[in-house]
Amino acid sequence: MERTTASATRLTRRAAFSLGGGLALSIPAFRRLRAAETLFVNTWGGPWERAAAKHLFEPFTRETGADIRPVSPVSFAKLAAQVRSGAYEFDVTTLGLAELVRAHRANLLESLDSLKDRVNWRGGLYLNGVASHAFATVLAWNQQKYGDAPRTWKDFWDLARFPGSRCLQRYAARVLPIALAGDGVPTDKLYPLDIERAFRALDRIKPSLRVWWTQGQQSAQLLRDGEVDMIGIWHGRVIELMDDNKPVTMTWEGGQIDRAYWVVARGTPRRDLARRFVEAAVQPERLAGFCKEALYGPLNPNSFAYVSEADAVRMPTSPQNYPKVFEQDIENFGGDVTQVTSRFERWVGA
Amino acid sequence: MIALGWLVAMFVAAPLLVVIPISFSDAVSLEFPPPSWGLRYYQAYFADPRWTQPTINSLIIATAVAALTMVLVTPAAFALVRHRFGGKGAVNLLLMLPMVVPHIVIAIGYYAFLSDIGLLQSFPGVILAHTALSVPVAFLVLTASLKGFDRTLERAALSLGAAPWQAFLHVTVPVLWPGFAAAALFAFVQSFDETVVAIFVSGATTETLPRRMFDSIRMQADPVIAVVSTLLFGVVALLALAAMLRRRAGG
Amino acid sequence: MRAVASPATGDAGFAVPAARGTWRPWLLVAPLLAFLAAFFLVPLGQVLVMSVTDPEPGFGHFVAIATDGFFLRVLAQTFATALLVAVLTLLLGFPLAYAMAEAGPRMAALMMVLVTMSFWTSFLVRTYAWMVILGKSGPIAWLSATLLGGAPPELLFTRFSSTLAMVHILIPYMVLSLYAALRRIEPAVLRSAASLGAPPVSVFRHVILPLAAPGVVNGLTLVFVLCLGFYVTPVLIGSPREQMIAGVIGHQVEEFLAFGEASALSVVLLASTMIVLGVYHRRFGLDRLWG
Repeated sequence: MERTTASATRLTRRAAFSLGGGLALSIPAFRRLRAAETLFVNTWGGPWERAAAKHLFEPFTRETGADIRPVSPVSFAKLAAQVRSGAYEFDVTTLGLAELVRAHRANLLESLDSLKDRVNWRGGLYLNGVASHAFATVLAWNQQKYGDAPRTWKDFWDLARFPGSRCLQRYAARVLPIALAGDGVPTDKLYPLDIERAFRALDRIKPSLRVWWTQGQQSAQLLRDGEVDMIGIWHGRVIELMDDNKPVTMTWEGGQIDRAYWVVARGTPRRDLARRFVEAAVQPERLAGFCKEALYGPLNPNSFAYVSEADAVRMPTSPQNYPKVFEQDIENFGGDVTQVTSRFERWVGA
Repeated sequence: MIALGWLVAMFVAAPLLVVIPISFSDAVSLEFPPPSWGLRYYQAYFADPRWTQPTINSLIIATAVAALTMVLVTPAAFALVRHRFGGKGAVNLLLMLPMVVPHIVIAIGYYAFLSDIGLLQSFPGVILAHTALSVPVAFLVLTASLKGFDRTLERAALSLGAAPWQAFLHVTVPVLWPGFAAAALFAFVQSFDETVVAIFVSGATTETLPRRMFDSIRMQADPVIAVVSTLLFGVVALLALAAMLRRRAGG
Repeated sequence: MRAVASPATGDAGFAVPAARGTWRPWLLVAPLLAFLAAFFLVPLGQVLVMSVTDPEPGFGHFVAIATDGFFLRVLAQTFATALLVAVLTLLLGFPLAYAMAEAGPRMAALMMVLVTMSFWTSFLVRTYAWMVILGKSGPIAWLSATLLGGAPPELLFTRFSSTLAMVHILIPYMVLSLYAALRRIEPAVLRSAASLGAPPVSVFRHVILPLAAPGVVNGLTLVFVLCLGFYVTPVLIGSPREQMIAGVIGHQVEEFLAFGEASALSVVLLASTMIVLGVYHRRFGLDRLWG
């Protein structure tokens, strides 16, 4: 944008507008009707949003009187765009590790240092993000097509044994480690990533990658409606479909754990309310409620006091599941995340 | 050839009809034919502010756009139909420009422009952008009806001693109102349907219905979209029916 | 509904006699011109400016577009798709427009209703309809499973699906253009040609086609130009590997905030559109396009 042209022209244009626009005056009056303070929270929709509304949003509204408006879809670029444009569509969002690093480097996040005393467990506060929950990208498939056969990402790459359409998230930092696992690298030796090898592996199955998902809901729809036969998808979405008796199943084997962090968009006019929300969202009991319902692993250790054995089995961080999965290791990524993302996007479109 | 024509007519019409049964589905998926029927998604649409709010926003925006467009276009249309002046051809072309510039191009422009003047994601911002896009269609409709206007009526009024503004108000407007109404309707629909610019410049509180539908299709393609489609479709059908009845009544 | 053409009379205004000078019409046009200048030309100009200034001054983005295999392929795909869609709408639209012009008034009215209904239905709704139809649990898959058995075909997210949907979405423009031209053919002309012993095929070739030609040119131009800039349909149901230029522009902004690159691509798209319309304007006059 022409951020470089002096802010003076900007000012005069804005001033001219507030003087001239009779139209501009009439509409804010309409907006004022919906008074009370409102916080805009970016959500993933579906079961994620239902769980968040029940365990995080509603208690917060009861406590503070502030309304929470969920906003979707989730988009990293929108976070960056709104910091640049000053027009905020959401104040609070969740980011995965790789995105948190990108956002922190690009100076898109409001400082959360004031929460230091209350978010005091190890790893709770990281790069202006507050750790909330762990989730896994797992291998899932259409049972009618493959039965119980596929076991690992190697099978995802084995087009001869398992012909059919594939789908992954359009998210470089999550796809590349999976590609290496599919190419036979043991999951404890993935990092630092051999980026070239990962792209070569992706090349091999490219014709079968019919579509890329970007939204959690969309991934569930693609699997449920049989649009794709095998998919790398968040565990919660598959378990929900399985609970619904859809002919799909999954394996924890080779699942990739990422951590979701609450962050506040830098410069939002509702910064203080946003910080209060983030603090409230990781309160042990509320976080436990959210995680139990949405099937995530809480990252606040105090939450486990509220989690039963039966709930824990469905979480990626449970003692049964944790040995089978691997974690994102963004500090040993093996390349510049932004550059790799850009290369990946072009690869997708080529 | 005529039989072939009917086949193509079926191709044109049939896909629209698939949407209606899906809206009465009771299933989560896009299964067709639906495994069970119900009004579940109609309830979901009317009960969810995330659908009703964009609908209201779109109605507000489209109404404002229609009004603003008519205020701007009406004098211009009279000038261009009734006067000859240097540069008229160029003016005509300029008025058509918003119709021929691809929406994605101007969407990028509006995104940068509106954020510079602090109107990104605001009602005025969306209304200004949509008004510019509605000008050509309203202008075309209005000039067409103006060209068909019999000027001797105005001359008669003037020769009977009416002032020009009286002639305009009591003769021109009553005769031309269907043209005005049609032009305003076209402007309204242009704004109500506009998707690409709205995706880039509307925001959480100003989200338009097409933007909501686009995001929803991208997110999960659930049957609520079929409900909205069916409702929109019903409005279009009613309008078409009304137009046909009017034509029939008018001979 | 869009048939707005009527002979321009162009008589000088009487309520404002010419003697009063030429400033009056300008006064009437001025608010609209000022509005479009401020709220259309300025944003459009900003796209041009960003294409050579963001993130740094220079023509780097254009050089990249002209030399980079990715962008060149996107451009080629866009033009090829637009051409294909234009030709397909002509092949499909002609019989329909012809039937409308030749069938009885009742039939013609019914066909007109079908076409205008489709025309007035939002692009999004029609795209969604194709998503349902071509989906794995949609009617085509259901039919093929019932009649042929076996696994349903993969139709969605392919070049086929987005092309088919775009043909369907744009066909009303073609039909209305063709119909406007065909309607003007006098039945008497056809009868006299036939009575002079011309076989139907040659009546078609030597009488109908030349008379329909302006409608064909109009329809092809309209559909081609609209298709070049199509965003919604290819993004929602097209193949990720065969993106069209509008989708790439949107993605550059949405994912990377690469305004300069997106603007440069926009300039290329805008220039292509303007060249096609410019040629049309010189030959026929732009105002006829929407007639």
